[in-house]
Amino acid sequence: MIYQFLNTLDKKFHFEKAHAHCDIPCGIYDPSAAQIAALTVVRMMDLMSDLDSGEGDNKATYHNSMSRYIDSKEEHAEKAKLEIRIIWGDYFKKDKHPNVDDLVHKIMLLGSKVRQTADRKAGEDFVASINEFAEAFWKTKDIKTKTAKAPYAPALDVVYPDL
Amino acid sequence: MLRLLKVNGDSMAPDLKEGDFVVITTVPFFLNRLKPGNIIVFENKQYGTLIKRIASFDPQSAEAYVEGTQPESLDSRRLGPIHRDAIRGKVIAHFPKNKR
Repeated sequence: MIYQFLNTLDKKFHFEKAHAHCDIPCGIYDPSAAQIAALTVVRMMDLMSDLDSGEGDNKATYHNSMSRYIDSKEEHAEKAKLEIRIIWGDYFKKDKHPNVDDLVHKIMLLGSKVRQTADRKAGEDFVASINEFAEAFWKTKDIKTKTAKAPYAPALDVVYPDL
Repeated sequence: MLRLLKVNGDSMAPDLKEGDFVVITTVPFFLNRLKPGNIIVFENKQYGTLIKRIASFDPQSAEAYVEGTQPESLDSRRLGPIHRDAIRGKVIAHFPKNKR
């Protein structure tokens, strides 16, 4: 009754709004984007190492393909780092999840290393660390996880929510 | 002295929901005696007029740390401490959109 009265007044006088903000899109956090981006980094490393060195007429083709793979590796390493930073900064609470800080720092360092080098081991560690982050994330929601090989190259282990 | 405001957003749900009305007091006497759990309305340069719950209040520095009810809420990790000068009022009455 009081609410209806206030709402009627609001339609006429437009009371000031007090914002109870969330980030936009509110509540939509999922580490899968980071996981896929990290897998893409390893995939690009594999394509780079498998690429024929290119002699004679193939030289231009080689450089074209190699530069595209490197560009994609750069882009996806940065994307993975960004996705992790968003979840870490906007979702995790420091007082409730104190161990996540070290893990995120490790991911950031590995994310830089996979850009600077074509070290596949660093790429695998990048994927594994983000898997660990995903596991911690789903745990906060009381959702169990399972580990399975990605059904596409590079077919590394990925942590999935067991919904 | 008293102001009526409408809540926009759900970071304080389920305590305060989108569309609820709140009455705040702007009387300095009450604003100088804030404590954890109080819900306040304050101004932020970037985000405008915000409503959040006090997680902690330091009377010496006159700064409040705020939080929302939802884990995704914008809070003092992003906003920093809220100085007393930026606090416009303390919620003293709540009129929910839907009766609970």
